[in-house]
Order: sequence, then structure tokens, then C-alpha cells
Amino acid sequence: MKKINIKIYLALIIMLGLNLSCSDSFVDVKPTSNNSEDFFNTEEDYQSALIGAYDLLQSTYINVLLGEIASDNTLAGGESATDVLGIQEVDNMTHTPLNAQLRDIWGWMFSGVNRANYILEFKDKIEFAGKQEVLAQATFLRAYYYFELVKWFGDVPLSVDKRILFGEQFAIERTPKAEVYSQIEIDLQFAASNLPVVQNTPGRVTKGAAQALLGKVYLYQQKYDQAATALESVISSSAYTLITDYNSIFEEAGENNAESVFEVQYFDGQGAGFGCLQCSEGNVAVGFSGVRNYTGPDFTSGFSFNVPVQEVVDAFEIGDLRKEVAILDIEAWATSTGATFGVGYEHTGYFNRKYIPRTRRDNAQGDRNLTNPNNYRAIRYADVLLMAAEAFNKSTTPNDTKAQTYLNRVRERAFGNNSNNIIATGNVLYENILQERRVELVGEGHRFFDLVRTGKAVSEINGFVAGKHEIFPIPAIEIQLTGNRWLQNPNY
Amino acid sequence: MRKKVSLILFMFIGFWATAQTLNVKGIVKDAITGNVLPGVSVIVKGSATGTQTDFDGLYSLSKVNKGAILVYNYLGYKKKEVVISQEITNVSLEESAESLDEIVVIGYGTQRKKEVTGAVSVVSSATIEDLNPTRIEQALQGQVAGVNITQSSGSPGAASNIRIRGISTNGDSRPLILLDGRVIEDLSVVNPSDIESINILKDASAGIYGVRAANGVILVTTKTGRRNSDFQSILNISTGFQQTTREIPLLNATEYALLANEAFAANGEALPFTSISGLGQGTNWQGSAFETAPIYSIDYTLNKGTEKSTYSLGMAVTSQDGIVGGDKANFNRRNVRFNFDTELTDKLKFTSSTIYTNTNKRNLIENTLGSILFNALNMPPTTPVFDSNGDFSLPPAVGTGIEVANPLAQIDNAYNRTWVNKISASYGLNYKFSDYLSAEARYQANYSIADSNTYNKVNNFGNNNVFNVDLGTFTDFSQSYFDYTFDAFVNYERDFNDVHSVKVMLGTSVFRTIGRFNTILTSNASGDDLNNVSIGAPILNGDGLEIFKNNNNGDNLSFDSRLLSYFTRLQYAYDSKYLFSAVIRRDGSSNFGPKSKFGFFPTASAGWVASEEDFLKDSNTVSFLKLRASYGIIGNDRIPGFRFVSVLNGEAEYVFNNTLVQGTAVGPIANPEIKWEQQIPLDIGLDVELFDKVNITMDYFKKTTEDLLVSAQTSGIIGVSAPGSSVPVVNAGTVENKGFEFSIGYKDNVSEDFKFNVNYNFTTLKNNVTFVGNSTGIIEGGSFGVGQDAPSRMEAGFPIGYFYGYQTAGIFQTQSDVDSHATQTNAAPGDLRFVDVNGDGVIDSDDRTYIGDPIADINMGLNLSFNYKNFDFNAYAFASLGNEIVRNYERTLPLTNRATYFLDRWTGPGTSDTFPRVTTGATGNNLFSDFHVEDGSFLRLQSVQLGYSLSNKTLEKLQFSKLRFYVSGSNLFTLTKYRGYDPTTSNGSPIGGGIDQGFYPSPKTFLFGMNVNF
Repeated sequence: MKKINIKIYLALIIMLGLNLSCSDSFVDVKPTSNNSEDFFNTEEDYQSALIGAYDLLQSTYINVLLGEIASDNTLAGGESATDVLGIQEVDNMTHTPLNAQLRDIWGWMFSGVNRANYILEFKDKIEFAGKQEVLAQATFLRAYYYFELVKWFGDVPLSVDKRILFGEQFAIERTPKAEVYSQIEIDLQFAASNLPVVQNTPGRVTKGAAQALLGKVYLYQQKYDQAATALESVISSSAYTLITDYNSIFEEAGENNAESVFEVQYFDGQGAGFGCLQCSEGNVAVGFSGVRNYTGPDFTSGFSFNVPVQEVVDAFEIGDLRKEVAILDIEAWATSTGATFGVGYEHTGYFNRKYIPRTRRDNAQGDRNLTNPNNYRAIRYADVLLMAAEAFNKSTTPNDTKAQTYLNRVRERAFGNNSNNIIATGNVLYENILQERRVELVGEGHRFFDLVRTGKAVSEINGFVAGKHEIFPIPAIEIQLTGNRWLQNPNY
Repeated sequence: MRKKVSLILFMFIGFWATAQTLNVKGIVKDAITGNVLPGVSVIVKGSATGTQTDFDGLYSLSKVNKGAILVYNYLGYKKKEVVISQEITNVSLEESAESLDEIVVIGYGTQRKKEVTGAVSVVSSATIEDLNPTRIEQALQGQVAGVNITQSSGSPGAASNIRIRGISTNGDSRPLILLDGRVIEDLSVVNPSDIESINILKDASAGIYGVRAANGVILVTTKTGRRNSDFQSILNISTGFQQTTREIPLLNATEYALLANEAFAANGEALPFTSISGLGQGTNWQGSAFETAPIYSIDYTLNKGTEKSTYSLGMAVTSQDGIVGGDKANFNRRNVRFNFDTELTDKLKFTSSTIYTNTNKRNLIENTLGSILFNALNMPPTTPVFDSNGDFSLPPAVGTGIEVANPLAQIDNAYNRTWVNKISASYGLNYKFSDYLSAEARYQANYSIADSNTYNKVNNFGNNNVFNVDLGTFTDFSQSYFDYTFDAFVNYERDFNDVHSVKVMLGTSVFRTIGRFNTILTSNASGDDLNNVSIGAPILNGDGLEIFKNNNNGDNLSFDSRLLSYFTRLQYAYDSKYLFSAVIRRDGSSNFGPKSKFGFFPTASAGWVASEEDFLKDSNTVSFLKLRASYGIIGNDRIPGFRFVSVLNGEAEYVFNNTLVQGTAVGPIANPEIKWEQQIPLDIGLDVELFDKVNITMDYFKKTTEDLLVSAQTSGIIGVSAPGSSVPVVNAGTVENKGFEFSIGYKDNVSEDFKFNVNYNFTTLKNNVTFVGNSTGIIEGGSFGVGQDAPSRMEAGFPIGYFYGYQTAGIFQTQSDVDSHATQTNAAPGDLRFVDVNGDGVIDSDDRTYIGDPIADINMGLNLSFNYKNFDFNAYAFASLGNEIVRNYERTLPLTNRATYFLDRWTGPGTSDTFPRVTTGATGNNLFSDFHVEDGSFLRLQSVQLGYSLSNKTLEKLQFSKLRFYVSGSNLFTLTKYRGYDPTTSNGSPIGGGIDQGFYPSPKTFLFGMNVNF
């Protein structure tokens, strides 16, 4: 009996001891993922974080879609007057600080900024060959996202080489637009001097992309001389050429071609849903712009948003080969091919042919409305030429010859001959360049911001109020969430 | 030992000196059945002398003083005291299912009900047998004051939402459920007939379980055998069928077409239906979607007890088809349970319980936009089920949006199955060092593997439809979970001077849960059904199957969450009159950072048994009266892990060379400052028993939850909307729940032939958010319509999850009504008139206000049962008053169908002040307003059961101890004004609950069954 007792005592003591031996450290569990403060220990870590910074480029589909709809090129469309209210409001210039899509832009662009800053925050942690190029890609991306933010919202909080951490949102101020622009310039200059002219991987940022974006940023600030220099260096690098067949640019085979200076990459190999549109690897804007209930050759259906108006169709001169590429006249197409389609809200009979869904490959993942693989040609060489033309025309000492040359290169491609070349100078030339930008770049999301920066928005866009609609409102909730300290943009 | 002997010797001598002794013997029987009771403890009061009845219920005790009192004690029976006057003393004991002698499980120990100082409710196996529920939750619904149960769906195997005393947190409001000590997430794994009792700790007494007990604790105890008993078999069989309780009255094809024409005309559009005649009734989509579905269950229990050991084996099979989808929504459960307790030595006791559960379930899309019932309500009745080719027809090309699909095509195309295999076990050793001191160690664990296969077959549901499958996919999702709880504690129990009773418990508990997930998604799957899927060409770069990590995010493939706790409880009673109990618990949780990993949580309770006082002791009216109160602090850590540290588990994916490239990014935004959510429960209660027949329990409670762990909207500039990221968890809020619980039970044996039992209870509840500390002061949730603002809010001064929208004041009758009202966008005669709440002359989103809340003001339940001769009858109803439900199952697009109340719409001045006109134009009528909020109060007859048991005489011939046949109906009718399917269902979200997207109604079930014991 006593022996058994001792055994039992021992067993009990062991069991209790096992329990008690669990010291407080039992509840210190290490997360299975890396701690963000303990990263950047290898070159791979930097490269890996860079993918995270690129990721948000895909979410700029909404910037492109809304930028087009806000302009005089297209109407909102959709299924009904209440189909995605935020898009309808921007079309009608009735958007308010409550607009959900504007909040998406705000949140997604800042997500991009933070991911780029995450790399730059740790830029000095280790050294490796090619680090400058990694950092150059990161600064380009930061500049790209900040440029979107100033275009849309004006003054925005600026953080350099440092993530904005939880808690800091209550202290950070909106930085004046000019200061944000100077940081963007610094970033792009750094990127331009540390990036190669050609990247082995298409879609990676190049020297030309940084210079072109820098030129564009100067142009937006009316710094024409600097813009001319930056853009001229892209042209003189001879790294890019205009693709003769304008139509081929927007087809899958034309992705990352010789005209592409910077291109946002999409594909259809991963599924996507409405729950996280920013997570899609496809170009969501394309599905939104597709012909409603379309059955027929070449294209597949979509949600019939972003429908071009008659005015932009009429803006093409006779003989302009780009018209048939940029605009799909659905009635005519249906008649000639036997295709059928449905009629959505604000049906104009036209669709943004550059970015509507093409016939899908069998292996495309669903929801196919959200996974269209069409890359977004963010900066095309034609855009660079037209920006350069504008910059030379508006320089302190204008160089209209150069401006004409660059403009006419675009026009020669457009008409397939040089008989439509422009010989005007001065302000007429300027107007010609802007007109050319409209038709060359229609459907590519630039028009609204071109109208704003050239002061033409108020006369061209229905409902546009000068002194208000040049920038969009800061989402009201975002003002609240940072402690109700920021002033709303004027007149919202 | 020597001490004990001398003590007995001393007493013996003492009695010898003063009194005559008897050698007492007799038999102990059940007062009602007359069955002998083995294992009854018989003790001489005030001494340690005692014995137990043997296998035949016989006992004998020698040398008992004449006039001494013998105490007969048997678990589950009323204690009986008999003054010894003769040698042969036969005793019959009464069962005490509801009595104050009932044993209450209070956590790391038990107590008799009359000594309990906390608010604890008990549901016994008898109640469960009476209600014969398919799921245990049904036996709690309306039975226990303060416990509210809603079903997330009426579909087979769907989870229930259990809330104890209101919604005390915006996060996880589920109570802690312990099955024989081990944590289970869901009661559905347990077979109801395996349950011996369910104890619910509702107040600060839950504090003994400290961490995670803040929402209350449900302790489920399974059946064990009885000592010294022969083989006993219990067999229960039931079978029956289920039907829907309701079809929402919808427009027929003719009515629909006329109304659609009216809507198009109102917007100046061409009429969609040029010819109405001949449309007739059209398709009854609901009628096609609902069916009568079978249900059956069989369970068998075998018990046996020896002198030292008890055995209990249970086996059960349940199978249930869905009233929507039939066997495409089948739920199938098999259980095997084995409980074994034994005395290894006089002092060492081993207890064990092992349950194996296998469930097999198929799912249909439900309770969401585009679910089967949603589509049955919205598909145009002019569309036939099948087209002329015999294929499922598609919705019209334009006019029904991208979520409305043919519901029967959806059912036909649903191919999925989930298998869960779970082993749940608990093993314990209890060692008695002495009469006063014992120690116990228990190891309790669950291991489960869940495998689900989903085959999305290529199918076109209509233009751009979100359910379209262009490329067949096959998903194999496997999950494995393991958790263990290791408890060790020491009990010291001693009475001093007959009046001081002291109990001290010291313990420690360790809990760890880990899980792993793995998803394999294969594309280009084809084949007829789930059993016959062939995986086609790989989707990427031609290099074989593409394995997608869960959420495309390799770092969420596993979790590991741990708790470490030390606790002590002190209980003191003076003369069974004044009761006191205090608990201190120190909990550590891996969910918190180094700054606040540990928390101290003290609770205390006290009671006064007034009926023991002289002034009540001899009262014939008041047989028992106890006043009690409790108060304390309990912690809550139920948030996702690692939210205090910034971890690289975000989604970073980009495409280079048409190939997906994975990178690294920060996941959910971290908040290093997060700390324990604290709940402060106060309870004041009264237990009364009158005339030994009427039991009344009343409780006032007030629970305040502070430092709520909130995932609130956070500024976008910190990157919360990046792929794979989310908002940080912050401590920012206070919620108060207060109310009053009342329950009364009356039980009487009117005659030998007629016995009855009535129980009624109600609970009032007032929920109020007193503080929301994030920057907006508001936390939003839920969804209404498509792309509309969140309809539910948590905000100071309102109940949690209240509905926030426009308030209406009738319908604009004329244009001058519109003109004289504040500016309302798109308003025309016939539209809803929104109230200009802020008085600024413009109707905009700032005019939204409180328009209802999903929390009932009062819940009640009534249970009536009686036995007459061989018949038994049981009926049970429950009700909920004062909660609102949002009607959100109407898609309201130009060509979707509508409910018949649209026939009462506004068609001209004076025609209606309730239902707005129909139009396809832009209108505010579909914005979230009180037009869409309805009174969700209801009274439901949940269960009626009539049984017939064969008489003892017949049974003896058959050699059965019980043979009973019964018929039962559950969910027979519901009285409610609510227009939707079922007012009792809710998704259970604290913020966003009570929004009906076409809830799958709880079915009406008819069963025939029998119970056999032998």
C-alpha cells in the first residue's frame, strides 16, 4: 500500500510539476511570418519587398477609369443610374467627400507609398551589388503613387523614407502640393540616374520611365524648360520608337512593345472577386468598360461603363486611323459581324475599344469581368513626344520646330502619311498639341488632368466648377480618422 | 488512519455510554419506479460512520444509536434523513431533477444548488429528453433565462449563435463551451442524448474560467454509468420529415409584368411586356426551390457499473436533408462516445471521456446576395425553370443585375462536401490525500481534421453573372486543428465546529491550440460531379498543378495560440446561512504583446440563505430563500493572433513576364498597445422555493465591458487597404448590458396518475454603448443592397449594432408635397419622404438616424409538460419582443420579382402612404430607410410532443424497463408581423446582425420515434 502511494505521489508531483514548469514564456509565441522590423537581411528581401511596392500599381485601374469618366470623353454608363454611385457622381461632377471610389484611390495610393517607403526606411541596412537600382525602383514607385495623390487630392501628407505607422496619423499634416512635387522630382531624378535604360524584365522601371514621368511632373507644374530637358533625354536615348500599326499597340501581342515607356502589368492567371478589387491581378477597368451582354467576335462582355460620347468621336479628323482603334461603334460592328449586345445606362453606341475585354483564353480565371489581362500602357512614347512638343512650345525660349517635329511624328503615324502635318506655331500649335493629346490618348485616363492643368476643364466639362473641381475632395472619413484637423479642399 | 480509528472509537464509546444501539438494515428504492438503488451512501449524521447500498439496494449498519439520524444520499435524488427507531428501515428516495439538491458544476468543482452564490442555470438530461432536439442549442433556446439563441441558418448542420446576457463585445460574443472540461467551438458535434447536464455560468462566477469566460461559460457534462449497476441499454430512434415554415407571397407572372410595365413607363422607357395575356401564373420559384426533406436519428447507449468502475458507451447516427436542395444540403453525423471512471485505489480515481465525431455536410449558397432563396425571390416569374431545350433557363439579359440566377440551376451546379473527423477526449486523475485534501490533474484535448472539396463546374448563369464559371476549378481544402487544456488543481475542504465550512482551491491551467490549413486549387477541372472530376490542363506555364496557398498567402497557413493561467478560489460558509466565494485568476495570452501579456482578474460572490434563519425556518410557505450577489472583472482576449506586432503576411503579388511573382508586404496593421478587454459583471439574485413546489429565480444584472477590442476604421494613410492588410485592433469602447431575469417553475404530482410541470422565464435586456474611442466615434458594419453605406453602427448612446438610415414620413402624394419638403434628390410624387433630421433643408446622408436595432427588449420561454397515466405531453414555446429586422432580400432592379405587398403601392394621390411607387428611374426609395426595417417580434411554438409508455406490467413481460412511442412536431407555427422567412435567424454579428438577405428558414419538423430501455 505504501509503495503504491509513493508511486502515486510521484506521478502526481510529476504531473503538477509539468504544469507548473510552464513558465510565463509559454505564452510568448513567435509569429510564423517575419517581423517587419527584422527584415532586409538579404538582397532577396529587398527584391521581395519591391514586389509588394509594385503590387499597388495594379490598383490604379480605378484612377484610369475615373480619370476618363471625369473628363469630357466618356459618360459613366453602367446598368442604371445608381450602378456604382461613386462613378456616376464623378461623371456628373456631383461627387462629395463621401465618394467611395475616391476613398479607394486615397487608401490604395497611400498603401503604395507605404510599401515603397518600407524599403527606403531600411535602405542602409545591408550593402549588396545593385542596391542602388533596387532603391531607384522604390523611389520611382513612391513618386508614381505620390504623383497620383497630388493629381487627385492636392496637398497630401508626405512621408519620406519612413512608413506612416499606426498612431502617427493623428499628428501628420497635409504637406503643400509644391513640397510633395519637389520630393517627387528628387525621387525621379534619383531613379533616372540609377536605373538602366533597358530592363531584362519587361514592366520593371527603366531610366526612360523615370525621365518621362519626371517630364510629366514638370509639365503639370508648368516647369516647361525642365520638362523639355527631361523629355528630350528620353527621346534622344533612342530607346523607344512609335509602333507603326497603332491598332497593334492595344492588343495582347503589343504589350511591352518598343513604344511602351512604362506599363502596368496584368494577367488572368489568378482569380479575383468583388471583395478585394485591389487584390486582382487583372485589369478591373477593362471589365467595367466592356460591352454589356456582348456575344460576338474579338471581344467579350463587360459592365458598359466608361462609354465615349459623340463629341470625342467627332474629335477625330477624317483619315485619322486611330478612330477605329480607339472607338468601337457597337451598332456598326454588330451589323457587320452579327454580334449581339445589351443596352446599358447612358448608352451612346460607343465603347472604349483600347481597353475593353478581348476574347478570353480558355484558361483565364474567373470572375472574368475582373481578371482581364490587358496591361495598362501608362506612359507611351507617343505621350512623351506630345509632352515634349508641349514643353518646347511653352519653353522660355520656345522651340516650335522641335514641337512640330514631335507632334508630326505622332500625326504621321496616325494618318499613315505626312500630308496632315501641322505647320502652325505659337498658341495655335499649342492648341493643336492639346487636341492631338486628346485623340491620341483617348480612353487612357489622361484627359481630365490635361484639361485641369491647361485650365480648360471649366469650359469643356459639364458641371465643372472652377476653384473646386480641379482637385477631388479628401474623403470625409479620412479627415475624421486623422483627428479632424485637416481642412477639406475648397468648396467641398 | 490511526487518528480516524481513535476518533470513531471515541465517538463509539461516547454513544455507548448514553444510548441503546440497533443493527439497522433495509432496502433503498426509487420512490416512483420502485427500482432498487445500488450505491446509495448511508451515513450516521454527525459521524464518519457509514456504508453504501449493494447491488440489490440493501444496506446494513451495525450499532447505530436509537434516535440517531441516518442520511441517505444518492446523486440525482433528494437527500433523505431518517430517525432510527427500528432495525428494519426501508427507505425510498425521490428523484430531484429540479430540486435544490441538484449538483451544479461551477468550474473545477461542484456545489449543491442551494449553496451556489453565482447566477448558474442548469439544464438536465430530463429536459433534453423532453424536448428531443436535433441540436442541443434548441434545448437551451427559451429554456434558460438570459440565454438567447439565434440560428445563423435553418440549413442542416448550420451553426447557432449563443449569447449569454446580451452582446457584450463588438468582437467575438460567443460563450466559452466546455465539454467535460475541453474547449469546443460548436455544440453541433455533440449528440444531445449523450448529455447528462448543461450548466451555464452567467455572471462573475464564470470568472473561475477567467480568460475567454467573459461571454459566459457553458459546461456540458456527458453521461457516465452508475456504480453497481447491471447492463442498461437505451435505444432512441426517430424519423420524420421537414418542410418550410413559409413561402413569401410573391407576384405571379401577370402581376409582375403589369408592375414592371408600370415601372418602366414611370421612367419613360419602353414597356418590357407588350402582351400580358397568356402570362398566367408563371413560375413559382419558391415552390420549385423548397421540398419536403427527410430526417432520422438513431442513438444507443450502454451503461454498466461495478463496485469500483462505471462504463458508458454511446453511439449515434443522424442524417438530415435540406428543405432547399434536398441531399445537396445533407448533413450527416456519427458519434461514438465512451466514458470510463474507476477507482484505481481507495484514494485514486481515474475519469475519462472520449468522443469520436464524424460529420459529412454539403452546402448550398445561402444568406447572401445571390443565394438560392434570394434568387427564388428575385427571379422573374415569367422565366420558366427550363428553356425549350430542356436546359435551365437564364434570367433576362438585362434588368436583373449580375447576382440573380436561376436558383434551380444553382442547386444543380453545387458540388461540394465537407468531412470532419474529430476526436475529443479528456482524462483525469483525482487523488484524495485525506478527507480534506485532494488533488486533480486533467488532460483534455481535441483533434480534428476537416476536408472539403468543391467542384465549380463550367456553367453560365447569365450575362456577366458573378456565379459564372468559365473555367472549371476543383478545390481541396484541408484543415487540421489540435488543442489541449491541461488543468491541475488542489482542493482543500473542511468544516470547523460544525458551522464553518471552508473550501480552498488552487490551480493552474494551460491551453494551446494550433491549426494548419492547406488548399489545393486545380484549374480546368471537368466531369459530371464531385466523384467524377478530372483535372484538366494546368493553368500556369504548363508546369503541372498550381498550388495556391490559403488566401494566396503562405503565412496564414497555421496558427498557434496559447493561454497560461493560475487561479485560486476561496469559499466560506457559515452554518449554511452565509455564503462567500472569491476567485483570483492570473491569465496570460499569446494574443497580447509584452506590454500587456498578463492580466489579473478577481471576482467575488456572496449569498444569504434567509430560509435557514429562525424567522423562516419553520415557514410552510417559504421552503427556501436565498439572496445572492456577485461582482468582478473577467478578461477577454478573443482577437486574431499577433496583432501587436507588424508581421510580413500581407499580399504582395505582381506580374512579370506574364507570370505571378510573389513578394513580401506587411499584413494587418499592428498596434503594440493592445491589452485585455475587461468585463465587469454585477449580479443580484434571489432564489425562492414556495410550498416545496414552486421555484422562482430572479436576477438583476449589469455587465459593463470596457476597453473593447475593436477593429475600427483607420486612416488609409497607414496602408490599411493594401492587399492582405487590415485595420489594427485597438482598445476603444464600452458597452453596457443590463436586464432582469425571472424564471418560475411549478411542479406537482396531483395524483398517482397525473403529474405536471410548468416553467416560464423571461429576460429583459437593454444594451447601450457608452463609449467608442476611435477617431470617428463610430464603428460600422453589415451591408445593405449593393454599394450602399453600412447600415449598422456602434456608437455611444445607442444599442450595439443599431440600424442607421433615413427616417421616413409617409409618401409624397403630390408635386407640391415634394416642393414644400426639404430638397430630396430624385424625389417625385409616390416616393418615400425622408425626414430632414438635421433641419438644414436638404436630405442627405447627414439626415440618417437611429431606425431600429436587432436586440430584443424581452425574450421569454414557456415549457409545459404533464403525464397522465401512460401518456406524457410536452409543449414548449418561446418569444422575442422588440427587435427589428432589416428586409434585404429584395434586389429591386427593373426586372426582378417583388413581394405581393407591392400591389398596395402608391399609384396616385391618396392611394398609399406606406408603399412607394414603382419606377426604373433613379429614386431614393431603395436607400436604407425605415421602410426596410420591420418589427421582428415573434412567438414560436417550438415543440409539441405526445408520448405513450407501456405499463410496467407489459414491460416485465417484454423484459424492457421502458418502451415509449412518441410523435413530435417542432417549429409548428410562428406568430409574427415580419414579412421575411424567419424572424428567429440572424448571422449573429454584433454590428451587422439582423439583416435578412433571404435567410434559410428553420424547417418545420415532424418526427415519430421510440425510446427503449432494457
